This record gives sequence, C-alpha cells and structure tokens, in this order.
Amino acid sequence: MKLFRYIASRIAQSVLVLWAAFTITFILLQALPGDALLIKFQNPDLGLSRQQIADIRSAYGADQPRVIQYAHALERALTGNFGYSIMSGVPVSEEISANLTPTLYLTGFGFLAAVCVAIAVTFASILTPLAGLRSVIRGLPSLFISIPTFWLGIELIQVFSFHLRWVPVIGADGWRALILPVLAVAIPISAPLSQVLVRSIDDVQTQPFVAVARAKGASRRWVLSRHVLRNAFPPTLTIAGVLFGELLGGAVVTETVFGLNGIGRLIHEAVDNQDAAILQASVMISAAGFVIVNLGVDLLYPLLDPRLRNTAGGS
Amino acid sequence: MAMIRTSPRSIVLGALAALIGSAAVAGTSEAPVTGGTLIYLEAEAHTNLYPPAGGFYPNGGILNQLTDRLTYQNPKTLKIEPWVAESWQVNAAKTEYTFKIRQGITFSDGTPLDAAAVAKNYDTYGFGNPGLRQPPSEVINNYLRSEIVDPHTIKFVFSKPSPGFLQGTSVIGSGLVSPGTLARNFDDLGKATAIVGSGPFIATHEVLGKEIILTARKDYSWGPPGFAHHGRAYLDQIKLIVAPEDSVRIGALLAEQADVMRQVQAYDEKQVLDQGYLVYAPPTRGVNNSVVFRPDNPLVADIRVRQALLHATDTQEIVQTLYSPNYPRATSILASTAAGYVNLSAKLTFDLNRAKALLDAAGWKIGADGLRQKDGQELILSVYPSLPQPQNRAMMQLIAQQWARVGVRLNVLAGDAGSHMVDDLDPLKTPVAPAMVGRADPDVLKSEYYPLNRDSLRQKGGGSTQIHRFVDDKLNALLVDIASEGDESKRLALVGQAQNYVIDQAYAIPTFEEPQAFAAAPYVKQLEFEAVGRPSFYNTWIAKH
Repeated sequence: MKLFRYIASRIAQSVLVLWAAFTITFILLQALPGDALLIKFQNPDLGLSRQQIADIRSAYGADQPRVIQYAHALERALTGNFGYSIMSGVPVSEEISANLTPTLYLTGFGFLAAVCVAIAVTFASILTPLAGLRSVIRGLPSLFISIPTFWLGIELIQVFSFHLRWVPVIGADGWRALILPVLAVAIPISAPLSQVLVRSIDDVQTQPFVAVARAKGASRRWVLSRHVLRNAFPPTLTIAGVLFGELLGGAVVTETVFGLNGIGRLIHEAVDNQDAAILQASVMISAAGFVIVNLGVDLLYPLLDPRLRNTAGGS
Repeated sequence: MAMIRTSPRSIVLGALAALIGSAAVAGTSEAPVTGGTLIYLEAEAHTNLYPPAGGFYPNGGILNQLTDRLTYQNPKTLKIEPWVAESWQVNAAKTEYTFKIRQGITFSDGTPLDAAAVAKNYDTYGFGNPGLRQPPSEVINNYLRSEIVDPHTIKFVFSKPSPGFLQGTSVIGSGLVSPGTLARNFDDLGKATAIVGSGPFIATHEVLGKEIILTARKDYSWGPPGFAHHGRAYLDQIKLIVAPEDSVRIGALLAEQADVMRQVQAYDEKQVLDQGYLVYAPPTRGVNNSVVFRPDNPLVADIRVRQALLHATDTQEIVQTLYSPNYPRATSILASTAAGYVNLSAKLTFDLNRAKALLDAAGWKIGADGLRQKDGQELILSVYPSLPQPQNRAMMQLIAQQWARVGVRLNVLAGDAGSHMVDDLDPLKTPVAPAMVGRADPDVLKSEYYPLNRDSLRQKGGGSTQIHRFVDDKLNALLVDIASEGDESKRLALVGQAQNYVIDQAYAIPTFEEPQAFAAAPYVKQLEFEAVGRPSFYNTWIAKH
C-alpha cells in the first residue's frame, strides 16, 4: 500500500513536471515579440492588407485572450494533438516523425564514432613509441575541440566529396549519406572524451598497485588493459553522458551544412519563425524523455535495493 | 548567354534577351532527348504551397512545375498568350473578363479542369476562404464574382476597372489546382504532394525539408500553344534537393553531383564560369531592389533629408563592390525590363556636395562627433536587412558607410524574425526599409506602395496602426489610376508619372535590378524562366555528356 502510494506520488510529480514544461514554454513563446502568424502573413511575399491579416488571425483564434489560447493549447496537447506548423503547413506530428529518425541515426552513430576516435587517439598517445609523435597525438584533442563544426563539415565535403569524390553529398543514400556528417559530429565530441581518458590513465598509472603489477613482471600492455583501463573508464563514462546532450547542438549545424533533414534543423527553423507548435512539441518530447527515464530509474531502485524499498515504504 | 565578364550594360541586357530566347536557338542544333532525372539544388526549403504564396522563390520554383495558368506571359515580349484559356474577351470598362477554357485538361487526380474548377480557384484567390484559413491573392483586386457561362466558359466580374487582371491570370500565384486541394485547410497545403495541379510534373514523393521528386505527367498535352514543344515534359523526373549552404551547392554542381542550382552569389559567379558552367540571371521585372523611407518618422519627414540621402547613395559603388554585371544598376524604381519603365538616371545622381547642402538647408548641422544634429537630436536611422534579397545586409552596411560621409548614421539591425516584423510596423523604429517586388505588370507599383497592399512607405490607414500623420493622397490616386486605367497607353503614361513622383519625393532610393541567379551544367538544355525569373523545366532536357 505504501509502495503503491510512493509510485503514485512519483507519477504525479512527473505529470507536474510535464505540465510545468508545457506552461513555461507557452509563456516564453508568448513573451517574444511577434508570433508565427505575424511572421508568416505580414511577410511581403504574400502582400496581404491589414484587414486580411486580422481576418486570418481571428481564424486562428489568435485574437482571443491568452488564457483562452492557453486552455485550447493545453486541451489539444492532452489529446496528443500538437496542431500544425504555421510556417510549413504540415501537421507537427508529421514534421517530428519525418525528422526524428535521421537525427537519432546521426547522433547515435556520431556518438559511437566519437568513442572510437577517442579510444584510438588515447591508445595511440600512450603506445606510440616515439616521444615526439606521442606529444603530437596528445595535442590532437585540443585541436579537435577548437574546430568549429560548420567549418569541419564544409572541409570534409570539399575534400572527400568534391575533390576526391569518394562519397556524394547530394543524393547519397543510406550509410554513404551518413559517413561525412557522422565524422563532422564525432570529431569535436571525441576531444573531451579522449582528454578525460588520457588524464585518468595518467592518474591511475601513478597509483602504487600499478607499480606492484609491473614489479611482479607484468608487461606494460597487460597492466594497461587489465588494471589501468578498468579504473580509468568511470570518469570517462560520466563525461560521455554529459556530452550526449551536446550532440544535438552539433546536429543543428551539421544538418544545415549537409542539407540533411533532422530535429536540429527543424528546431532551428522553428525558432527562426517562432513556430510555436513545433517548439512546444519539441520541448514536450524532450521533457517526456527525461521524465520517463527518471521515473523508470526511480521505480527500479526499490526493486534493486531492498533498503530503498523500506525507505520508500516508510517503515 | 548571360556569362558576362566585360561589363557594358547593353551587352548584359542583350545577353539576357538571348538567354530567354535560347530555346529556339538550342532547338535548331540538337534534337531534344526525352528522359533522365535532373537534380536541382534549392537554397531554401519551401513553405506553405497554397498557390498565392508562390511569390516566395522556393515555392514558385515548385508550383511553376505543378500548375498551369489560364494565360501565359511570354517572357520575351511580356504579351499575354493563351494557355488553359484558349481565348478571352474583356469589356471596354475592364470590369468583365470572359475566358474560353481549353477542353480535355485534367488535374492529376483525374478531375476535369473546367469552368467550375476555375471558378472555385478564382473565388478562393479573389475572396480568400476564412473558414479554411486561406488568404486572398495579392494580384486579384476588386473581385466581385465568377459566373459559369457554360462548362467551358467562365466570366469574372469586378467592382472597378481591373486592367491588371489579365496579367494576374498568368502569374504563379494564380496556378490552378484541383478543387480537392482547395477543400483542404490552408495548414494542410504545406507538402508538395498535397498540391494537385494540371501541370507537366506531379510531386510524387517528398521528404519534408530535404527533397521532392517531381515526375513528368505522361498524358500532359496542354502546354502554352505558343511553345514549339507539345506533349509531355522531356525530363522523366526532377529531384529537388534543399542545400542551404552556398559552397555546398556550388561544389556539388561542379563535382557533377547536381545539374542546376538556384542562388549563385555574385562573388561565386566567376568560379562557375571558369569551369565552363553557365550562369543564368533572368530578371524579376518589377520594383527594383530599393531602400524606402517611412516619412511618418519625423527624421525623414523632410523631403530635403530624403533627397540628401538619395544623392549620398553611390549605387555604382554598390553594384561594383557587391554584385556582378548580372545585377544592373537601377535607373528608376521599376526595372528597365518592366512595362512602362522610364529612365530617371538624371534624377538619381550621386552628388555628395548636393547632399550636404540639402542637409544644411534642412537645419541638420555637423556636430562635435561628426554626426548631423538639429534641436539636440542626432540624425541616426535604422534598418533591418531583408533575408531573401541577395547580400542585402552587406548592401545596407555599404550604404551606411556612404551616408556616414554626409554625417548620417544608419544602424543595420540584426534581430529575430518576430522583432523584425513588429518593428517593421513602427516607422520610429524602422525609418528605412528594404523593398522589392517581382511582377511583370504595372500593377506592381500599387502592390509595393499602396496602403492597402504592401504599404512599404507605411501610410496612415495602411498596414500599420502606429502611423500618426503620413498619407500621400496624390501618390495613392496615381496608384489607383494605374490599377484601373483601361487604356493601355494612358496607363503606361501614369506609370511614368508615378515613377517620377516617387523619385521626386525621394520616397525610395532604387539600387539595382534584381535577377534570380541560377547556375547549370552545360549539358542542361533549354533551361527556361517565366516572366519573373522562376525556373520552368517543361522544355528542359539533358544532352548526352
């Protein structure tokens, strides 16, 4: 019974968080000067008169008090209907579903590639025999982190697509379309990963147990793989979690440079045009993602740890 | 064609004319090839494709392939020729237009394109349809009603003489779509696949924001009768791909990943030409790229201040520094390729001494910091650059440097679209604004300046509620007369008067004639453009290469 109450309260908290995210987004969007209707219909390309624009505003219900607009928006959101993008004239659900998968691919593979690059750079910086070369490799992450994503993207395209003609940028399908964008996303993200990894390996290597292992006659590689890495990975995992969030920022730029469709570019354009419906839906999707993960973790803890079950049950 | 390295203006214009006429020339040397896919790189994703929104370049480039119009405006002669309408009659007062619709045309959903379908289209574009949130069209004014005379004859009745209507039936914004398309909510017309027209191509597939496949309609046989080519389009497919980054579009074109691209910046033209590729720069034939004043702002209410800034603007330097010979220097508010154009270069002189004298006479004296002052106020103006106009921010910054020479500061603002639109309605915040409209009919002047249209000067009773004083009844009367004068020669005389008046009042500083710049591979033949520079792929074919 107590457990049930705990679960109920956690779910109620989650709903509250979602409602707050929705409301704050609505207020912030209302606080901006102008709105999507103004940007769309005041645009000289349509050449509409003031009366015509006023008619359209009232057809959209934009002349109603904001409280009523809020109530309508909330009502629609509760039924899962996020309406239409005013700028593009497409249901928000279609925009999101058309753009979510490409971004998941780009960021997912981008993250994997970043991990691979980071590990490769780290190992090379430790195992390369020449000291001079080692320090050059150790400098790579600092270089990678300073490269602006858009510049990297344009250079990758110029070199690999336009000069060497290895992969097309235009009209590429499947994995060929992903190679260069994934690299453009991965390289800047790999830098902090390898920096942290190199640093923690250095730290661990000074620990006494490493010296003991070496003294017992273990080879350098054996010590590195069996003892050092195992202890050096946790800080890297922590930073990896943080960096995953940064991927979306890289995706915005990469998607624009490569002409890919994706959530990053969608949000970027929606912000430009104050396309409230798209922004509201995007915020709700990310908020829901966080809430569900956290809720899942909170609900799992009591199952995994009996002590927590007792606390949760409130003995 | 328009690949110009030397710069005399006559050569440029001649080249443009030759370009438009290139269909016939190319046709004599090689027989067109049917088949193939053309890859077309677009700089921006399209927005809502409701046909009256076809003025936005990316939209026009798509709608022009999907829809037919009642009439065809010959880009070479600007004359109106038959298309969906095989003939028409206009009453003397220009208040009644009767069109005979060609038989046998169908929309791609199978619906016949008959008088009833045309009535549905024009009633929607004439009135708008608030129930479905569809706004009215800018080019159809004074619309009273349509009458279906018989299944293939339609009559339109206007409350006032409307001589511009005939040309209005030829523009992309008057593209005919299936009644089923118009039955959809405005918010549901954002996908190319939702637009069902009778045009030579059908949108068969779209990845939102990324690409559209346009497929040739095999049974198409109703292109403008004036064309040498009848029947289906030569191309099997057009693959339209959005690539916002300039260097990616150009690089992809030159690396043979694409065949045609829109929006070549002037500074990239040489790179394209050097590789044997072609630059096309069809004119937009309307109101030139200009800087307009909002005289409701007291700082620019004095005609002498506006005149001073007109003479302080060195359009030659603008064109030479930022653009190419494809961007001719403006000699009136109308393009030299527009109907009724008059050359006003004598009034548009660059003359710093005159500018300074005018400002002195208006009481604006140079202050301690080099800025002109009057009654403790400094002459500081501001402007938001226009995003769609080529290099408009750079142009405004150059103009700011030029005006600084006479002690006037122009702040070139940056801001989000919302602030831009809100500030644009308030002349106190935006005393200066960019302007430009492409339409090959004298009505374009009314579109640009009339308070109930675009109202670019911001008059009282116009698009903004924040105007306190400024109205120019004389200008407005001229614009209304242009839109309603039935006699063509009288109408063109009025167009000349209006151009003179706007320059005499220094309401606008025209800078250059804006082309739409495209680049294409040399094997792309008969790439053509409608009257205001939107691409038309109906006659286009790909030669062996």
